[in-house]
Amino acid sequence: MTLSKSLSLAALGMSAALVVATSTMAIAASPAATAVTTRQANFKKMGGAMKVLKDQISSGAISKAEAVAAAKTLAATGRAQAKLFPNGSGASAGVKTDALPAIWTNRTVFDGQMKAYIAQADKMVVAANTGNVDAVTAQFKAVGGTCGSCHKQFRADN
Amino acid sequence: MSKPAASTTRIWDPTIRLFHWLLVGLIAFSWWSGEQHDMDNHRLSGYAILALLVFRVFWGFAGPRTARFSSFVRGPGAVLAYVKGLGSRKGHLADGHNPLGGWSVVAMLAVIALMVGAGLFASDVDGIESGPLATYVSFEQSEAAADLHETVFNGILALVGLHVLAVAFYLVWKRQNLVRAMITGRRAAEEGETTADLRWSPVLALVGIVIAVAVAWAVSKGFQFN
Repeated sequence: MTLSKSLSLAALGMSAALVVATSTMAIAASPAATAVTTRQANFKKMGGAMKVLKDQISSGAISKAEAVAAAKTLAATGRAQAKLFPNGSGASAGVKTDALPAIWTNRTVFDGQMKAYIAQADKMVVAANTGNVDAVTAQFKAVGGTCGSCHKQFRADN
Repeated sequence: MSKPAASTTRIWDPTIRLFHWLLVGLIAFSWWSGEQHDMDNHRLSGYAILALLVFRVFWGFAGPRTARFSSFVRGPGAVLAYVKGLGSRKGHLADGHNPLGGWSVVAMLAVIALMVGAGLFASDVDGIESGPLATYVSFEQSEAAADLHETVFNGILALVGLHVLAVAFYLVWKRQNLVRAMITGRRAAEEGETTADLRWSPVLALVGIVIAVAVAWAVSKGFQFN
């Protein structure tokens, strides 16, 4: 390897390290942005868990272990979500978010909706444990209902 | 010649006309129900469109001559010759779709099929509402299908817009009312023009309808019959 080549490689390495360092700093500098990306990843996880249950419902058979795991994901992630909407994590967070300002101007209603969701998700764990497709179907509607009513008020429609 | 002025000739059979206007209504209804988040009706509308598409493809092989792909899907030579004559005020004596319009029909059928196909596999971000075939793909894939479903709608809008423009062009420039023909099934005939009667079999139409409904029903169940 020639000297100029190794020099340029070193320069490349250093600039890459710099980019990584600054971007890490940028994320570390904004807890609001972290809250947004964390809760978005969590919502995706919840969507995936809902799909597991939905697929079992449409197949007409509940496989208990998977259904219970999915229901537990819904409940546990829901509890985490309740803490992931700190002040300033709306449009001003600097990350694209569908969270509407109403979350922070109407906080008690929002928190109440979160609680309602968690209560229904807990019941989903119970329903999944029965292994009964009708029980899971009914509870799926109840859980979905709490998702939907909160989204209607507090999530941008796009 | 008993009635030369009012002479007309039949170009569209009743099932093609019904297909056309049902498709117009259902696409509008699909858009509206989608905007309203009325997913139950949105899915039903999609199944109905799927049935229409299946019937149309069947009719493209079993229908009367103006419905057959073999008669209206033309080569580049015919399309080019047609395009060259577009500026002429004289109405085009097409026995059904003209060479360019035939390709427009193929494009519209393809893009609507893509739309329905994407919708069948789609899921909303919450995993609550989904198409009947979403169960066969991962959550990420069904979300990608939902994105595609949304994007392809622009393609439908563009092609429908082009279609309506072409019909308007015929009405204004060539003084030929294609909308009326799609309602009555008849167009004005040239003086002394003789065209063969539009033959179609009600039995085959019934077979096509049964196939179409059966396919749409099976798909709507996600092929899970329990």
